[in-house]
Amino acid sequence: MEFKEVIGRRRSIRFFDPDKPVEREKIQKMLEAARLASCAVNAHWARAIVGFRDDLTEDQLNRLKTPVAGLNTELAPVHIHWFNDLGIVNRIQGSRLKELVDVGALAPTHGWSHKFVDDFVYPQILKPMTQNPGYPIPSTMDVGVAMCQALLTGVDEGLGVGLVTLNGAVLKEVFKTPDDWIPLSTILVGYPAESWNAGGQRPRPPFEELYFEGEFGKPFARDPKVVEELKRDKMIQDPAKPNDPKRIEEIRKLAEKYGLPM
Amino acid sequence: MKATDSAADETPAHEVLLYHWLLIMTDATPTESSIELKPLQEYASVRTWLDGLRQHWGGDPATDEPERLPMFEAFCRYANRDPDQIIKETTMIKDGEKRIRVKGRERYAHLIDEWQAQQEGSRIRKGKWGNTVRSFLIHNGVLLASGMQA
Repeated sequence: MEFKEVIGRRRSIRFFDPDKPVEREKIQKMLEAARLASCAVNAHWARAIVGFRDDLTEDQLNRLKTPVAGLNTELAPVHIHWFNDLGIVNRIQGSRLKELVDVGALAPTHGWSHKFVDDFVYPQILKPMTQNPGYPIPSTMDVGVAMCQALLTGVDEGLGVGLVTLNGAVLKEVFKTPDDWIPLSTILVGYPAESWNAGGQRPRPPFEELYFEGEFGKPFARDPKVVEELKRDKMIQDPAKPNDPKRIEEIRKLAEKYGLPM
Repeated sequence: MKATDSAADETPAHEVLLYHWLLIMTDATPTESSIELKPLQEYASVRTWLDGLRQHWGGDPATDEPERLPMFEAFCRYANRDPDQIIKETTMIKDGEKRIRVKGRERYAHLIDEWQAQQEGSRIRKGKWGNTVRSFLIHNGVLLASGMQA
């Protein structure tokens, strides 16, 4: 599938086929994509634990679920739980930055050297950063970037994916994670029981409300020709419509199939 | 059985028959302490439920599923609560905002599971009983994560 279409086809799938297993290689591909994500100072805070729903006890599954994510979690056969490994920066002490210097990704042209990393970047910037109460915020952003790549790779592999937040304390207990890992979101993975289109692309705020040019309040001009091009490339697709009879019928059938309240 | 007599005044005959049949099926014969119920559609929470169903699914929810209201009434009798009381026990107003009572919701989630398990029939059929009550709570803003019943 072309990249733009992958973005266009992604939906948060909420009805998974609970009995159709996911091929291991597809899960690996998602993780491989995450590993290649852009990451500040090459630290790589993102950690993931792949959990298979059927390996959990009923009690574990029930305790992991949160009210709005309960059914999706129960339906999805694979759960990829993401964590922020806060301790990584002080364990590697800039060594991965020096790897970037060695391979020419960071060069003296931009002020980089081993000595700069050892004398300045780690002791004066990175180490104090880890002592700042706000430290989890930017590092979590990088985990999000990695998760996004995994998510899109899942779509490219024909899987259904959806992000949810489960009970973090239970995640840490069940998966025995180190103390300094922060539990973040979980990517639910499976084959969709609903159509891949799932009613259409989700409503989004107007482009002009989100993106600006030069200063806040001056919308970035949206060129209709670009929009048309992206429609041809299937990145921008037919939006989901309110009260769409086809979608209502689809949900009704799924509710009947899985015994869900209506 | 005053509540049933009064319900019969305004309820189609087939629903009254269905109700009696459901009472037999659920072994929920009212006891001396059983609650007296008005016709269900006189309760604000039931009207909210039916409005929610109508808005989301279309049709006329008061009639398009003949078992819906009798099943729900059977639960009210099992719980010994009228519909508005159930909502009162699962929600509250705090600082001017509607909140869900965690303990109340849990109590009803268990009560629904327990009641559902007592029903006759297949798992899907049992699930239909429970899901009718869950639907009532959901459309009144009380989220219940019951999972698959099939």
